[in-house]
Amino acid sequence: MEKVNITINGRKISAPAGSTVLRAAQDAGIDIPTLCNHPALAPIGVCRVCLVEVKGMPAFQPACTSLVAEGMEVQTETPPLVEARKFVLDMLFSERNHFCMYCEMSGDCELQNLGYRYRLDHWVYPTYTKPFPMDATHQQLLLEHNRCVLCRRCIRSCSDLTANHTLDLRKRGIEAMVQADTNVPFGDSSCISCGGCAQVCPTGAIFDKRGAFMGPDKKMAHVQSTCSQCSLGCGTKVFTRGDIVVRVEGDWDAAVNGGRLCKKGRFDPLNEERKRLTRPLLRRRGGLEPASWEEALQAVAEHMGAARAQDIGVLTSSRFTNEALYQLGKLFRQEMKATNVGLLNGVAPKAFDKPQGSLADIPKGDLILVVGVDPVKDQPVASFLVKGAVDKGARLIVVDGKDNGLAPFAHQRLEMADIDKAVDMAQRATHPVVLYGAGLSEKTANALKKLPPKAAFVALEPGVNTRAAAAFGFQNGFKPQAAKVLYLMLGEQRWDGEDLLKQAGKDAFIVVQAGYESPLTLQADVVLPAAIWSEQAGSLTNTEGRLLKINRVLEPKGEAKPDLEIISLLANKLGKKLAASLDEISARAAQELKGKEN
Amino acid sequence: MAKVKIATDWLAGCAGCHMSFLDIDERIVQLLDKVEFTSSPVTDLKHPPKEGVTVGILEGAICNTHNVEVAKQMRERCQILIAVGDCATFGGVPAMRNLVGTKEALKRAYLDTETTVGGLIPDSPELGKPLDTVVGVDKVVKVDLFIPGCPPRADAFFYALSELLAGRTPVILPPEHFVYD
Repeated sequence: MEKVNITINGRKISAPAGSTVLRAAQDAGIDIPTLCNHPALAPIGVCRVCLVEVKGMPAFQPACTSLVAEGMEVQTETPPLVEARKFVLDMLFSERNHFCMYCEMSGDCELQNLGYRYRLDHWVYPTYTKPFPMDATHQQLLLEHNRCVLCRRCIRSCSDLTANHTLDLRKRGIEAMVQADTNVPFGDSSCISCGGCAQVCPTGAIFDKRGAFMGPDKKMAHVQSTCSQCSLGCGTKVFTRGDIVVRVEGDWDAAVNGGRLCKKGRFDPLNEERKRLTRPLLRRRGGLEPASWEEALQAVAEHMGAARAQDIGVLTSSRFTNEALYQLGKLFRQEMKATNVGLLNGVAPKAFDKPQGSLADIPKGDLILVVGVDPVKDQPVASFLVKGAVDKGARLIVVDGKDNGLAPFAHQRLEMADIDKAVDMAQRATHPVVLYGAGLSEKTANALKKLPPKAAFVALEPGVNTRAAAAFGFQNGFKPQAAKVLYLMLGEQRWDGEDLLKQAGKDAFIVVQAGYESPLTLQADVVLPAAIWSEQAGSLTNTEGRLLKINRVLEPKGEAKPDLEIISLLANKLGKKLAASLDEISARAAQELKGKEN
Repeated sequence: MAKVKIATDWLAGCAGCHMSFLDIDERIVQLLDKVEFTSSPVTDLKHPPKEGVTVGILEGAICNTHNVEVAKQMRERCQILIAVGDCATFGGVPAMRNLVGTKEALKRAYLDTETTVGGLIPDSPELGKPLDTVVGVDKVVKVDLFIPGCPPRADAFFYALSELLAGRTPVILPPEHFVYD
């Protein structure tokens, strides 16, 4: 890469050509204060906080939008610059309500930090009196215009990262304010509640209601983890205080999502209303009664141990770690020789010989073919990438039903029968990308095989850890009617199991391992309380085949135990010896996954 | 050596800054070796003495004509005026009134309160008249030192007074004492 030589504060620095002065300074460890700039968003230079002196230039230049040039001499903290920044800050503080003492963001506010840094101890301009509305109509987010500094980070996040274009700016000058759609209440707008705006807001203008007023970030534990709501496995940063999860943010450094999250990942896990299972339950004298782990596992082991291999049925959700699914397979398929094992959701067919594409292929595509999958509903962050590619000029062809969430954004929607038309169009594109899911039929797959090698095929698996589940032998084809002892590993999956209960024999002995109470747990003979997403560690295999780490952020509630531990305890009761430590199991699971994938 | 005289008073504030000042705890004994507190809202003498003091400390925002009088009198009678707390420095919580307007705020407080029957907006001549806009102390008198914070930390008070007693001006509060909340 071509390098350019510049000096910043007298230091000689070599920076890549095309880099901004701010970036070059940051890479060299030189601190330039910023406000509207955000590393994940395109710079727009509106706040003027990052002004620097460039020799030969008549005026101060914003570092975030100025590009480096050979021989450039930059100063970042001279007395005139400090004065200019104080002036900029005085102007910012002179508009709207920037009283920190009752603001949610106090302690984490970037404007406040700048006030501290440049020691603003009073206001030089007349006290501001024009009130702005506060919009609390959104279920998750609060939009407090009075705290807004018009940095437009939320607007850029909404357009550049989520590609939803809900937020924009209305009016001019002192009247300017962020608006949702055509100035409708935020809650009634086209917002899809990804929460990206709240994550990038430097002040207390947009924040999530659920995590509000629970203290500054420095009083919380921050744990890097992986979202387990769909098969993408977005990187997350989980904020906890005491025994509660306060907030989930997208991890800016995660390769999968680059800081993005969707409603399912950011808000749904925090707004769970189902009743937690915190004690093992055992059916005695017709009713479900609390029991000890010992009693509950003993009851399961007795029925399981006495059953013939063909009488055992195992049905699992895909919402588990590699380790839990591996151990489940090992115990039931290998040790107990059960063959009636199944997965609650479908699996994207392995239709193509060539190596799988990755999510990173989506932004590169100039034609995107979406076949038999609805990422808007099932893998929202992937839909952000698709919509982002469309913003940049890619053509979107949706080969699916009318109700596909991407249909409104598509240049053309085709029925499955017209797949040849879609293939035709894709053949003419420079970088065609095919997104497909469990809805891809064999016939359609065969038609798609005609695409030239330049085409990238990206599978979007339904469920969560579906790829690992399938690799460990859990596929469709479970027959409830054949099972006399039924082991249901449900975890956090929402499923009432009504059909299953109808099909299963009246005398079937039903064991449910779940995190929450459901119609199914009420019908069970034994209920094993499982830890939820925040309470267990392990790894996840995402739809691209990436191995992602999940970290435990909280202790399991009550007597609930991590799924892996429950299976290991049950294995012990059954006299089967499975690998002991998490690391050992992780290694074996990874080994087997690698073997299966190749 | 004669003791340095200090007077304090509060305007539209909550007394929290004074409470925070008292949180310097036993260090107040150390301070009393060198200073004399002539008057404050929590002592018998309420007004700064006519002969003047070296340091005047004001808490609270300028909310009404009475606040203006008190601030002006303090300014006339002291050499160094310190504005303490977010109300005195920026307007603070009382300045929330600016966002609804004085008239509306009075109506809400005295007439429209859910428990009020036949309410009356007080207008005794003994009372200060509310101003249209709540402002920081520096908008009516010259202020020599600002100590923001809600309230300023006890250590900030002690630090500032110690610096002044040692003759070091201007006082630059260390980052841990420079807060807005």
